[in-house]
Amino acid sequence: MTPISHLYLHVPFCPTICPYCDFHVVRRQAGWVEAYLKRLLEEAGQLAGLWPLELETIYLGGGTPSFLRDRELAALVEGLRAAVGWAGEVTLEVNPGTVSRARAELWRELGFTRASLGIQSLDDQVLRFLGRTHSSRAAREAASYLRQAGLRLSADLITAVPSQRLEREVASYLELDLEHLSAYSLTVEEGTEFARRGVEVAEEDEREAFYRTEELLAEGGLLRYEISNYARPGAESRHNLGYWTNAFYAALGPSAAGHYPSERPGELAQRRTAATLEGWLRGEGGEVLPVSPAQYASDAAFMGLRLERGIDLRALGGRTGLDLLGSWPQLLRRPLEGGLLELQGGQLRATRDGWWVLNQLVTPLVEWSAG
Amino acid sequence: MNPPDIRNFSIVAHVDHGKSTLADRILELLGAMGERDRRDQALDTLELERERGITIKSTPVRLVYHRGDRAYVFNLIDTPGHVDFHYEVSRSLAACEGVLLLIDASQGVEAQTIVNAYLALEHDLTIVPVINKIDLPAADPAAAAQQLEEVLGIPAEEALLASGKTGAGVPELLEAIVDRIPPPGGDPSAPAKALIFDSFYDSYQGVVLLVRLLEGSLSPGDRILLMASGKDFELTRVGVFDPKPVPASGLQAGEVGWIAAGIRDIHDAQVGDTVTLLTRPTQQPFPGFEPAQPVVFSGLYPTDSEDYRRLREALERLKLNDAALVFEPETSLALGFGFRCGFLGLLHAEVVQERLEREFDLDLIATAPVVVYRLLLSDGRELYTQNPADFPSRDRIDLIEEPYIRLQVILPGEYVGPVMQLLQERRGQIRNLQYLGRRVELSYEVPFAEIFYDFHDRLKSLTRGYASMDYTQIGYRPGDLAKVDILVNGELVDALAVIAHQDKAYALGRKIVDKMAEVIPRQLFAVPIQAAIGGKILARATVKPYRKDVLAKCYGGDVTRKKKLLEKQKKGKARMKSIGTVEIPQEAFLAVLSQPD
Repeated sequence: MTPISHLYLHVPFCPTICPYCDFHVVRRQAGWVEAYLKRLLEEAGQLAGLWPLELETIYLGGGTPSFLRDRELAALVEGLRAAVGWAGEVTLEVNPGTVSRARAELWRELGFTRASLGIQSLDDQVLRFLGRTHSSRAAREAASYLRQAGLRLSADLITAVPSQRLEREVASYLELDLEHLSAYSLTVEEGTEFARRGVEVAEEDEREAFYRTEELLAEGGLLRYEISNYARPGAESRHNLGYWTNAFYAALGPSAAGHYPSERPGELAQRRTAATLEGWLRGEGGEVLPVSPAQYASDAAFMGLRLERGIDLRALGGRTGLDLLGSWPQLLRRPLEGGLLELQGGQLRATRDGWWVLNQLVTPLVEWSAG
Repeated sequence: MNPPDIRNFSIVAHVDHGKSTLADRILELLGAMGERDRRDQALDTLELERERGITIKSTPVRLVYHRGDRAYVFNLIDTPGHVDFHYEVSRSLAACEGVLLLIDASQGVEAQTIVNAYLALEHDLTIVPVINKIDLPAADPAAAAQQLEEVLGIPAEEALLASGKTGAGVPELLEAIVDRIPPPGGDPSAPAKALIFDSFYDSYQGVVLLVRLLEGSLSPGDRILLMASGKDFELTRVGVFDPKPVPASGLQAGEVGWIAAGIRDIHDAQVGDTVTLLTRPTQQPFPGFEPAQPVVFSGLYPTDSEDYRRLREALERLKLNDAALVFEPETSLALGFGFRCGFLGLLHAEVVQERLEREFDLDLIATAPVVVYRLLLSDGRELYTQNPADFPSRDRIDLIEEPYIRLQVILPGEYVGPVMQLLQERRGQIRNLQYLGRRVELSYEVPFAEIFYDFHDRLKSLTRGYASMDYTQIGYRPGDLAKVDILVNGELVDALAVIAHQDKAYALGRKIVDKMAEVIPRQLFAVPIQAAIGGKILARATVKPYRKDVLAKCYGGDVTRKKKLLEKQKKGKARMKSIGTVEIPQEAFLAVLSQPD
């Protein structure tokens, strides 16, 4: 069985709930973190027994993992090392408000190699609109502590926010000397507070955010390698590349989703989703979805077309035993003819205009795999 | 029955002037209708006829009227009241010696009154004017009689006063039928000569012909010849309407009745044809035969493509009874398989569609009606076509002609301005304007295509419902017409081409492209929609590309959930047709096809 090389660990706690967030997060309550850590390490122990692990990356996301107290995080790391080992790239998602020089050094000592800093903006007005509790100054300080501690640094940026000035914003980010940046244009998701407030994103702002951000960041040496992700060459997130190349990854924590190899007949993989916090704490399992070869192929396209390099249909065809080079170009005829997709030497990639409407492009493949 | 004792007549009137009520009253007085089976509009037997208050088929009824010890036979031939069935009306009138011309005492002379009166005069019939509905509070019989004299030259004192509702004046009317309408002539010993004025299909007897014997006689066993079709048959049964069809031993000159000869195909014995004896034919057929000629075409498509066969069967069934209905299979990019159907007019089209839907339980989509154009080609050929897709390229057409009508409108004087403007917009040419007291009669020649769709509604709304109209076809005239092509993303879409007058092509093209750009959902790319004549673009609109549609964030945990979202989103996209790389919903085609300019 193919060994699993990536591990995602979900820390669901947040100090406040941001108005745009639709992730599974909860406010911290007495006793819950202890219960969480206990259950998490049990689960980690079971994981190693179920699948062959050869971890290259670990990612602690959330929620706000940096919101865990120092001893809690230390205990988590210790337990995790004991259960599943450690990896060459280990990322911690960090809220700027939780960073101090000392904590940054502690994280480095615990073995984290990389920090993903949830700045969102370096403009205080935009931060207030986004409901973030930190200031731009705190964000700059946090970035500086993390880099000084020797952590590789990525940051988040939210674009297309009403009243945001993109050029100034990007210039501020470039001053942080990042090696990686995730830039998302604001999406008003159903059920969030923004949706309730009727916040809308102007089509023009969205267009500028989508095309112009790339030009501005490229001038600063950060190249777009995925729809929303930019890096100095060689500094791409290996963990996230695992997702986008449809690799197998394990998941720990409430409502975390993993992608596991399967050798059952008709299945190439399984997707497993954990129960939400209360159920997960009681040891309840989540959903297990078998992934057929066709679904595997469409997942790979769904994720892989997000990458600048696209997907290798020959390799994917070999992996799934399907003649994708024979069947997919017909399914994708219109976007291929219209210059939204390109197919060269078996490599299928979306152009920038293709990325703009990627959901539309992959829908026929999702249908194909369902039918 | 002796010809001197027969009276063949018809009642003609503008719509709603009380024709059916008066006919019912006459039937009742002459004992043709028992109280028990009394119902309104006894002569209108189709469900649809009764519901719409119109007559589609001609129904004759034989009545006996006693005066002293003398018995007269009245053959009352009810005629279709609508201009679509103009030819059927003219054949029915040709079977009569006189008409009762009904005028509503509160409305006066209307457009159809005039057209009907002229038609009766053309057939040299005696007109008995009847001012009807004199019981109405708003009745003004003197004014109505005055208009009769002014507009039609019928002396006011000839008008009878009656009320179909109360029965007042009806006995006097029956007397006038005997006294004023001449008895039929015709030599009973001459070779048989009968005019077919209508027919219906009976599953046992085949096509039953409604005839008026002009000369000679017909009896079961006779070998008959249909002079226009050239087909011959043996008469199986003959009879009269009492008012239900009853058999008789024979029919003689002057009489009206029905004959059956095991005829299976209605086209072998069309309305207007002359029946004679095979072995002893008459010298001259009755003049004026015209094979049924559709003037309006429209595509009928089943909403559910599974119903295509049932639609074909239903059309074939209707055609047994309706020689004017023509249809042939047609395929539409947007609507799938259906039939191109030809009708006598818009009412005929509506009636056929309704009957298909009601009697055969079909759900149909009808495309916008079009007229038949006459093309004179540069190679000297002549082409009649209603399908823009059949139009040759412009350099191969010398001249395009379109059907014209003579339109009669009667309206209160204060609305003349707006109505004349409307008619001008519709490319009408004025032929006459005459004052009828406070009202005006307008006579126009107008392209049929400009009138048949929404003109009546527009006229009614401009005149608060006070205008009346009627028209007759007057043949083809040259028109400055052009085929407007519609291009989607640079590709011609045959199904959407329309014929338009040059002066209106731009506005029509603009309207179509705007409508399409509005109803076609956003696409992967910006899609130009163009209207063009020849290679010249008249109008252009653009279907916008999608707004951004991509997940900003997509990492491991989201895959399953996000994929589900896409599947849900795709569900609303059924019934799309692809034109090149553009997906167009059926609704977009319908918005254009079912709604002419």
